[in-house]
Amino acid sequence: MGELGVGIGWRSEIDLTVERMPGIDFVEVVAENIHHDSLPESLRVLLDRGVPVLPHAVSLSLGGADPVDGARLDHLAAVTDALGAPMASDHVCFVRAGGLDSGHLMPVPRTRDALDVLTANVKTAQAALGVPLALENIAALLRWPDEELTEAQFLSELVERTGCMLLVDVANMWANGRNLGQDPADLLDGLPLDRIAYVHVAGGVERDGVYHDTHAHPVPPGVLDVLRELCSRVRPPGVLLERDDLYPTDAALLAELDAIRGVLAATA
Amino acid sequence: MSGARERLAAEQAALLRALLAGGQPPAGFDEIALQVEADALLAKRRRVVAQLAPEVADKLEERYRPLFDEYARAHPRTVGSRAREDAAAFREWLIAGGHVAEPQRRWWRRT
Repeated sequence: MGELGVGIGWRSEIDLTVERMPGIDFVEVVAENIHHDSLPESLRVLLDRGVPVLPHAVSLSLGGADPVDGARLDHLAAVTDALGAPMASDHVCFVRAGGLDSGHLMPVPRTRDALDVLTANVKTAQAALGVPLALENIAALLRWPDEELTEAQFLSELVERTGCMLLVDVANMWANGRNLGQDPADLLDGLPLDRIAYVHVAGGVERDGVYHDTHAHPVPPGVLDVLRELCSRVRPPGVLLERDDLYPTDAALLAELDAIRGVLAATA
Repeated sequence: MSGARERLAAEQAALLRALLAGGQPPAGFDEIALQVEADALLAKRRRVVAQLAPEVADKLEERYRPLFDEYARAHPRTVGSRAREDAAAFREWLIAGGHVAEPQRRWWRRT
């Protein structure tokens, strides 16, 4: 896996902004938002320029008890292929269960049962994709009772059993620190940092004492602190800023990317 | 493995029922955290529908939120449903419940 650099999440609402932004080494696109045989023109422009476009899936529900949905997997594989992407990603989470769709990324219980199911689902996904699969740690607002493993143990064992890469989201780590009391340093201590594909950075907002990882607000200093902590231990191949709503000015996005570059430079 | 899938399926389904469909809180969970999560999921769904059907949200103004929440709690998203279908179903629910008048000319675009 080569060096990716500093990137930003491509979204149709900010397509021109991303195209024109200086110093963007790679972008990510939400796989469910595009179709393999009609890629947005803006992504073609970036690809023609040699900018890697990595598909990021949100709906495989790999941590769910149901077998992986073949149509969703085929879609991700086709999009990955159309983008010529060197890897694809989704989350360690479940989205659907019991016939209901939560509409968001839900935490899986860190139990042996859940790890067995997740491992089998990840292997199914890997077999369908022609490229490495990276899996992301999520932000949770609740904890399952009677968990058997820490998040570090759970993710490390997943990596060991499947050979997957990790997409480490430092904003999610920070959110879990705030909301669930899970110290980001403990997770960094226990993860196989040499398996990091790249890192996500995003903003959020605190409401009624709960931090929400909205991707619609500025990146708080605490998230950059976790990035700094990570970079002081390992040089991640890439760091990507995610912004999904309430888009700020181009200057504000550039400033957030500069802050990320600042952390990378200070820890080089 | 099939045993693990079955046990996990029951746990995950019970959690989603509690969060989305008014089910009993599963044992062992913090009930405040369950409420925070349920509110966050509802807020996301409300936001997505407002983006897909801005004319509905604009027309309802401050009634949008309570009406959407009433609709959403009675109609949890099911597997395979799409966000656009959710927005369309909300419009139909509003008309069926007399919350908005059925337009002479449809004020939304069918998708």
